[in-house]
Amino acid sequence: MVNGISFDLDQDDNILATIRALNIENKGGGQFEVKDELVKVKRPSVSGMGIDINNKLPGLIDVSKSHIILIGRDLARKGIYPYLELFYRPRQAYISTRIVIAEDKASDIISLNPGTSPIAFVVLKGLEAAEDTTKIPKETAFTAWSQITDTGRDIILPFVTKDENDKITIGGVDLFNGDKFSGISLPNGKGSLLLLLMDRLNKYAEMAVELGSHRSISFVVKTMKRDLDLKVDKKTKKITCRINITLHLTITSYTGKVGEKLNKDKLNKDVSKILTKQSDEITKSLLEANCDALGIGGILSSSYPDLWKKINWDKEYKNVKFKTSVKAKIDRTGPVF
Amino acid sequence: MITNSNSISKLQLYFFIIQSQIGIGLLALPNAVQSTAKGDGWISTLIAGVAVQITLFIYWLLLRRYPYATYTDITKKILGKYVGKFCNLFIYIYFIMIGSLACALFIRTVTLWLLPLTPVWILSLIIILSSIYLTISDLRIISRFFVLASVLIILLFLLSFFTFYLPKDFHYILPIGHSGVKNIIIGSHRSLLSILGFESLLLIFPFVLDTKKGILKTVSLANFSVTLFYTYFTFICLVSFSPTQLLQIREPVLYLFKALSFEMIDRLDLIFISVWIVPMTTSVILYLFLSAKSISNEKTFKKNVCISGILIFFITIIPFDEDQLAIFDKYVTYLSYVVVFGLPFILFCLSFIISKTERSEQL
Repeated sequence: MVNGISFDLDQDDNILATIRALNIENKGGGQFEVKDELVKVKRPSVSGMGIDINNKLPGLIDVSKSHIILIGRDLARKGIYPYLELFYRPRQAYISTRIVIAEDKASDIISLNPGTSPIAFVVLKGLEAAEDTTKIPKETAFTAWSQITDTGRDIILPFVTKDENDKITIGGVDLFNGDKFSGISLPNGKGSLLLLLMDRLNKYAEMAVELGSHRSISFVVKTMKRDLDLKVDKKTKKITCRINITLHLTITSYTGKVGEKLNKDKLNKDVSKILTKQSDEITKSLLEANCDALGIGGILSSSYPDLWKKINWDKEYKNVKFKTSVKAKIDRTGPVF
Repeated sequence: MITNSNSISKLQLYFFIIQSQIGIGLLALPNAVQSTAKGDGWISTLIAGVAVQITLFIYWLLLRRYPYATYTDITKKILGKYVGKFCNLFIYIYFIMIGSLACALFIRTVTLWLLPLTPVWILSLIIILSSIYLTISDLRIISRFFVLASVLIILLFLLSFFTFYLPKDFHYILPIGHSGVKNIIIGSHRSLLSILGFESLLLIFPFVLDTKKGILKTVSLANFSVTLFYTYFTFICLVSFSPTQLLQIREPVLYLFKALSFEMIDRLDLIFISVWIVPMTTSVILYLFLSAKSISNEKTFKKNVCISGILIFFITIIPFDEDQLAIFDKYVTYLSYVVVFGLPFILFCLSFIISKTERSEQL
């Protein structure tokens, strides 16, 4: 049973697939022994890898329970579409498998030895927690497939790194153009904000903002409202996109002066200002990466079909003007004033 | 003749029509309509439903004049013995062909999703033997089974609510009407295979225990339900898949369920298709019944069911590849235009003229 799989690009432009397989043996009496196996296969292309892997493992390979696909960034630059194909064409394949980008070599992450639980489950648990807190988007082979084939939208995928203690950390989100990694990624805080701009708040979002010297605030966003307004200038055909989001915050921590009382209005203003600035930076990165994560193309094709047919969206996207504003509204301050 | 043993009630008629229309077609329907009508595929299915409604009305007008005759009796009455028999041969061939097509597609889906290594002839044999077994027991038993099997359709409908968890994008279907009237109509044409089956009314009309108006109401209601059911599934597929993706998938409805994953349950697609086997079998049963009914009287019915079953069996074990199956599909669609839409309309016009002349003769 394949548990996790990773794809990398090696020096000779070959594709290196590393597979973490579980070998479950029945020991009798309702007890099972789970053994972890690591298989590495190298091939110039992805087709036929399944056959190679079969030759190395006893019994037939079963991909129906492979929970994650890790793809190295070098490979992601060349396009991830061929690797998704493995997960939606075969009958048994698990189409809800998570797709994650590895900052360095993906095989390093999948070969980590966490001791008890198989590594795929460790990564998966981390991903699920991060999805719930809106740090990363929930993207499976299925959703990635539909977004990559959609011309009016680009995908963002989470990336993970390995720190010095061999722990896996979620780094943030990678911006994609089509199925290719653009080379630009957003760290955790900004990734969250981008997801909020995309109106993809999951259960809640956690964020921390530095307000200046010795002043910082962290909060939870539980509800939000997004207004997205797309305007096309009739003469110049210039596309302007205005995004306003209103966030309802619950403060989890605030460090200020000794005995300082919370000034909600002032804090609201400060946080709004900083987040607006950050979201401006985000939209700039989006344009630079040519990543239409906000789905502007989709809105354009449905609201301005005539214009949509005329333009080459891949080139035109860079000329879109974004105007973003974030409005923070502190609803609750917790048990302390 | 109409006896107590083979007459059916209003409720049974309703589910009979529903079961005969819903079948193998649904799984591939969104793909079929999307290939031409794009995001307006759901309008195509609605239009197809309207077309069926008009046809049903023509059937009703025709059958109303001959309340104790079936389709094949009417052809003989209006067109004379020889031309009528020739038409009936056509009708018989049509039912055999579409029965074989439904069965072949059914087998292909089962091999693709569930039993990749089982030989085709075994699958075909199992399907056809069980179909023959039910068909021999005549209309009332079949109808009872269809009513019972409809519980499964309701179950699958409820199962589809789970797909609301998938991310949806309504931009795919906007702006409404962007693919143009022509493409939408072609889309309706491509959805034809899924909606066929309502022509069973032509052969079961005399056996329904209801007033004539009541029958029209019941079949219209059945058609309405089926149209809504299809439009609903097409719609959720259109907003869940991107247009390019939808063109790549053979059975979008199954992929909808495949993409779902819950803590408790996974791979809903396999559950869906295992249950969907029953509605697919009812289509085969229906065509077996109709083909036998169209050529036989009370005595020869059982024998003819077996003959038709054997014919269908042999057609389905011909090793069609995917392209040949598509061509087969195309020809059956054309044949259906003649038998399901053309001929009843001509008969209706002729019957209208005949009754006019009869009346003038009386004067």
